[in-house]
Order: sequence, then C-alpha cells, then structure tokens
Amino acid sequence: MPGGSTAVSATAAHRQSASSLHQFIALSTVLSLVVSFAECSFGADNNQGAQLAATCAACHRLDGHDTGIPSIVGLSEEQFVAVMRAFTSGERTGPIMRTMARSLSNEEIAILARYFAARGKETQRR
Amino acid sequence: MSVAALRPQAARGQARARIIVIGGGVGGATAAKYLALGSEALDVTLVEPKARYTSCFFSNLYLAGLRPLESLTHGYETLAQRYRVNVVQDSVAAIDPVAKNVSLEGGANLSYDRVVLAPGIGFKAGSIEGYDDAAMQIMPHAWSAGLQTSLLRRQLESMEDGGVFVLVAPPDPFRCPPGPYERASLIAYYFKQYKPRAKILILDAKDSFFAQDVFEDGWNRHYPGMIEWLPGQFTGGIKGVDVKGRMIKTGGDTFKADVANVIPAQEAGRLAHQAHLVDQSGWCPIDPMTFESKLQPGIHVIGDAAKAGNMAKSAFASNSQAKVCAFAILAALTGSERFVPHLFNTCFTLLASDDAVTSAISYSAEPDTIKINDFFLSKVGDSAETRREAVREADGWYAAFTHDIFG
Repeated sequence: MPGGSTAVSATAAHRQSASSLHQFIALSTVLSLVVSFAECSFGADNNQGAQLAATCAACHRLDGHDTGIPSIVGLSEEQFVAVMRAFTSGERTGPIMRTMARSLSNEEIAILARYFAARGKETQRR
Repeated sequence: MSVAALRPQAARGQARARIIVIGGGVGGATAAKYLALGSEALDVTLVEPKARYTSCFFSNLYLAGLRPLESLTHGYETLAQRYRVNVVQDSVAAIDPVAKNVSLEGGANLSYDRVVLAPGIGFKAGSIEGYDDAAMQIMPHAWSAGLQTSLLRRQLESMEDGGVFVLVAPPDPFRCPPGPYERASLIAYYFKQYKPRAKILILDAKDSFFAQDVFEDGWNRHYPGMIEWLPGQFTGGIKGVDVKGRMIKTGGDTFKADVANVIPAQEAGRLAHQAHLVDQSGWCPIDPMTFESKLQPGIHVIGDAAKAGNMAKSAFASNSQAKVCAFAILAALTGSERFVPHLFNTCFTLLASDDAVTSAISYSAEPDTIKINDFFLSKVGDSAETRREAVREADGWYAAFTHDIFG
C-alpha cells in the first residue's frame, strides 16, 4: 500500500489551510523526534484530559510517531484550540476531524488543549 | 508514597480489585490496557487462547496483495511488559456470575470483581443449510482473520483467469458494514491485474447495503463489468450450500462458484451465550454509560457482541466502547472521576489502491440506547486527490490505532 513519508503526508493533509499550519507541521516533526518516551509518563493517569485524549489516541499516536496523520502532541494551547475551531467552522475540511471536533464542548476542547500542551512540554524536558 | 496508596481500595487495606478481561481482540486488548493504565490499584488479567491477534480490519488489503498478513498480526508482549497486564493464553471454560469466578480450560480458576467480556461474533447455526465447520474449510468465511483469510487468498491465487468468485453477504446486523463490499472491490483490484477475465458475483441476503452508491460508482470506474450484485429480493435469499460442487442455493437459482466466500448471519460470540448475556436479538444488552450487562451484574460486554443501539459493529467502535467501559470500571472501583463518555466510529474503506472512502460518526450514550449525533460519509464525485489522501490517512490510522491497542 502506498504510504509516503511522514513529512509528505502531513503536508498533504494540511494543504487546505497551508499558511497558518506550516508552523504546526514543523513543530510536530521536531517534536516527534523528542517524544519517544512519552508513553512512559502515561501511567495511572485518568483525569478528564487523559480520558478525552484516549479518544484522540485511536487515530493519533500519543508518542508523536504519526505517519500519514498529523501529530497533535506538543501543539500549544492556542494552536490546538485554533485547529479545532477551524474544523468546527468548516474552514478546514477534514471530515473525520470535523465530526470529532463538533462532538466536543468548548470546555472539553480547552481541557484537551492544556493536556496536549503539557504533554509536549513534559516530553521536551526529557 | 505511591499513587496506588492514595486509591480508596488500597487505602482501606484491601486486596487489589481483580478484573478479568476475556478476549484479546480490539475491544478486550484496549480495555485491558486502559484499565491497567488508569490505576495501579487494579489487577488486570487478559485471557485469550491465541498467542497473536490478526486484525480483520485491513485483511481485505492482504487479499488484494497490498499488505502481508504479518503486518496485520500483533502480540501481547507490550501489554504484559509495559502495562503489567497478566496475559493468560487459555480458553475460558465457564463464567460463574454468582461465585464471581472464571474457570479456564487449562484448569485454573480465577476470582473476579469485574469481568470485561469481548467475545466478538459467532455465526448463527443453520442460517445457511450445509454451511458447517467442515464447509468453512472449503468455502471460507474469512470474517475472523488468520487462517481463514490466508485460505481464501490461496484459493483466489489458484483460481483460473475467467473463473467466478462468489461472495455471500450477510443480513444485518453484522461485523463491519462496508466490509463485504470493500472485499469485492479489493479482490476485483487483484483480478484486474492478474485474472482480468474473472467475474465477481455478490449474493446478498439484503436488498441494499452501506454506502451503496459510493461502492457502485467505484466499481464502475475501476472494474467496469466485473462485479455483479444481486439483492435478496432478486434471488429469494441465500438458502444453502453444496460444498462438493461449490454451489450456492438461493430461493430461486443455484450458482456455481470457482471460489466461494460465505459470510453467514451473525450473533454474539459463544461465550456470551454460555454466560447468559444474550437476549432474543442474539446480542448482549448493556448499559450504554458503562457497558455493564443488563442481564448479569458485574460483567461488562464490549465490541461486536454488545447491543449498542445505533453503533456500528467495527474495530474502531470496539476500541471506543472499551475506553468508556474502562473509565466506568475505574470510577466504580477506584473512585476516579467520571466524565461524559464519548463514543465514536471511523472507517477507512478502500475501493482500489489509490481510492479510499471515509466515514465518521459521533454518538451519544443515553440511558437506554446509543444514538447518532453526527454523521459523515464520502460522496460520489469526491476528487481523486481526496480519495488518494484518504489512502495515506488509512495507512497512518492503522499504525496509530494498533499502537493504541497493543503498543
């Protein structure tokens, strides 16, 4: 099956709102190199952020090693909220993410944004 | 002080609560991982007879020659080593909900506080006359992946160009609604390259199927004239098989196959019946907030066997249910906080190696059922680039999803 490299696939996935997202792609790519131990910090963690993030983990690797699907670990809170708003408003057209984003309340999106931003910082310190 | 010491169970000086997860497919393995991740105060055991799991999802890509079967095969080593799940390779003999005990074929007896049962599907006995265990070795169902899938692949490889492949599609509800039609598409993809005069005949128990317009459009574009679909109302329904002659008998005509793939009517897996978890529908009624059985307290049923309202029977749905169930059990046994459950389903379905369609559904758990909130499905007329991009996403999704379960 044709796979494509991480960078190529991520770029293709973001092509529809390129300018604001290029920095996310660059950030995600950098982070994917430094978060390989992320899963070790996941133990005994079932607060609301972790419970909501479990839904994301069905498609996005929480260690950042995504291929073909953009990584979300390490997005800043502002970036995460902006991306989710772009999906709910239809500015970005990914149908799976639009359905997912529309199923989350603003409060849940904020909790997820904090969770992934914190996870990114934590893994950068390692 | 360890985290576990702060948990109510441990704080009261009791033994760790024991959870037995039965079935190492997507639902069971996900539940075991998230229960073990969620609290050190739980003792989580996963009982599964097979040493390794082969995914049914993406097995049509193997049939098409687009992926090796090994790439669909996953072990339980990480669950055991990193997440400290006790992985027991054995079959369950019986579940005793009164004594709260699970006995294994190997002789062990395991007591439990909660059972999570993920038995998958079984086939309804007698739904197709003559289609028994022996018939499955000649006319495989390949609807549980592994030996059945490789048997079907070998038969397709041996078939002469110009042969007829007959696929018998099951009545609703069944595992993976787009699955039989993705299979027809990807076997056509294989035939187009290696046996271009071959034909595919789908004998359906139903009169319509999931995303029918999208599939039929794909078949016309990629494989014109190769795939014929006959609805139940046209044939009079699937009645029986003649294994020796590789014949499928319908209400009217009998059809001769060179290779036959018979996917029978389905119900909850065998163990669910043994444990009296099944109602007259053939599936297991559950509380949508916790996936605890409505018939046997203390036993949760997740995945294809569960009667989960409008939720599709799919690997993605099983994974989603397993997490909701795990967080509900954690809340009940460790006092952790409970939040509104999110239930979701996503499908990537390939029509050809460069053409995939997607669907996404969000659900809400209500007291007595699970309802669809929001629904998306690819459309006829999507751009070729959209469909190619979905193939790349599908590949990335498989890697991430199986990592979420087994990694």
